[in-house]
Amino acid sequence: MDLRHLATINPVNYAVPGFVALVFAEMLVAWARDKRRYEPKDTLTSLALGTGSTVAGAITAGLLYGLATWLYQFRVFTIPYTWYWFVACFVLDDFAYYLFHRSAHRVRWFWASHVIHHSSQHYNLSTALRQTWTGFISIAFIFRLPLFFIGFPPAMVFFVGGINLIYQFWIHTEVIGRMPRWFEGVMNTPSHHRVHHATNPRYLDKNYAGVFIVWDRMLGTFTPELDEDAPRYGIVKNLGSFNLIWAAFHEWAGIAKDVWAAPGWRAKLGYMWMPPGWSHDGSRDTSETIKANWEAREHARKERAWKKPISSSSGEDRVARPRPDGSAKAVHTA
Amino acid sequence: MSWVQLGGSIAAILVLAGVARLLRLGESRIANKAQARQLAEEMLAGFEAHDALVSRDGGAALVAGNGAFAVLKRHGAQVAARRLIAPLYLKTAVEGVTVATGERLFGDVTLLDVVESDVRGLEASLTRV
Repeated sequence: MDLRHLATINPVNYAVPGFVALVFAEMLVAWARDKRRYEPKDTLTSLALGTGSTVAGAITAGLLYGLATWLYQFRVFTIPYTWYWFVACFVLDDFAYYLFHRSAHRVRWFWASHVIHHSSQHYNLSTALRQTWTGFISIAFIFRLPLFFIGFPPAMVFFVGGINLIYQFWIHTEVIGRMPRWFEGVMNTPSHHRVHHATNPRYLDKNYAGVFIVWDRMLGTFTPELDEDAPRYGIVKNLGSFNLIWAAFHEWAGIAKDVWAAPGWRAKLGYMWMPPGWSHDGSRDTSETIKANWEAREHARKERAWKKPISSSSGEDRVARPRPDGSAKAVHTA
Repeated sequence: MSWVQLGGSIAAILVLAGVARLLRLGESRIANKAQARQLAEEMLAGFEAHDALVSRDGGAALVAGNGAFAVLKRHGAQVAARRLIAPLYLKTAVEGVTVATGERLFGDVTLLDVVESDVRGLEASLTRV
């Protein structure tokens, strides 16, 4: 069956009323359980950034579709609009998303656009809608281009991309703890994605998946959420401001400032293409240095705990038999 | 995206933000010195907190640590932090003291019921540890 007509739909448009209803429902849960899960100004910022992102997307959509259609003429195969090709396209597009998302955290140029999504210190369904205004500038679309070369029609790719986006909405919540074990094993879930949004050193730069967590498991970037290390959300240097424009552009401003002041072209390029936090003189923290310092402190803490006397047999024996010289000698029982 | 969709989205945003305000969501405070120290260590990589001053309303705190200060301010229902080094730039406010952060968008942080000499005492403690 030809499903060409399906691909002409933008599924996100149909999902928006559902997004609004679910945010409202989650607010009621927050009111009943924990009022700190939502904050009016933060919610307003997230939703305004989401609307701005939709406007920015609408402005550049024509250019993107044109580029995709132009590339499609050089395709290797001609893939029909049958349901199983939609499924294949969805899986491959999700892998492309994984690659994009990983790069978005490891390359400052991509991060400058993606950081908007992480800039809230709250984690609720409104955070899912906090999306970038500068995706086109950051050329994030390049990760999808191979799909057009393979032969997936642009309309099909954009349709499954919309489904992917809708899936990722519901995982931005603290209301759901853990899903069934088999589901946690294969799919991205609220628990896995809380880890991704966390700034705890243990969780930095982990769980990049969109829909299928298997990409992280296969490529070594998975880490589970631990009950003893509750996620703390946001970015390493939180904004401390609800200013929309600053949230949308602060990292671009940071790049411009660093590139301007950098000594030499090597450093200038480094401030654009190296990981966030990189500096030419090593004076700043990257996620690697934060993790390494944290691991060193944890190791030292465990060492201290290991050496600390924890029982009468490992510590000084206060009731040892007095020696002839008057001192006491501990008697060890091995 | 049509104008109707855009208008609908903006209306939905305002309604949801209004609901959040109506339900009085987002209320929080820095409860005491111990919490201020813990927050500073969690938010600033490598920071080891020693002593703290907490604003009377729980909206801000100043924490002395290993060679630096952490200035904390309530940001929504969470707390945002910045690392500062001595000497701190202070402004006397009617109800307390204001610590300058040097960042316009982060803003200065006012500690209620804290006086300049309290802050200078904390500053002096940095050289003793």
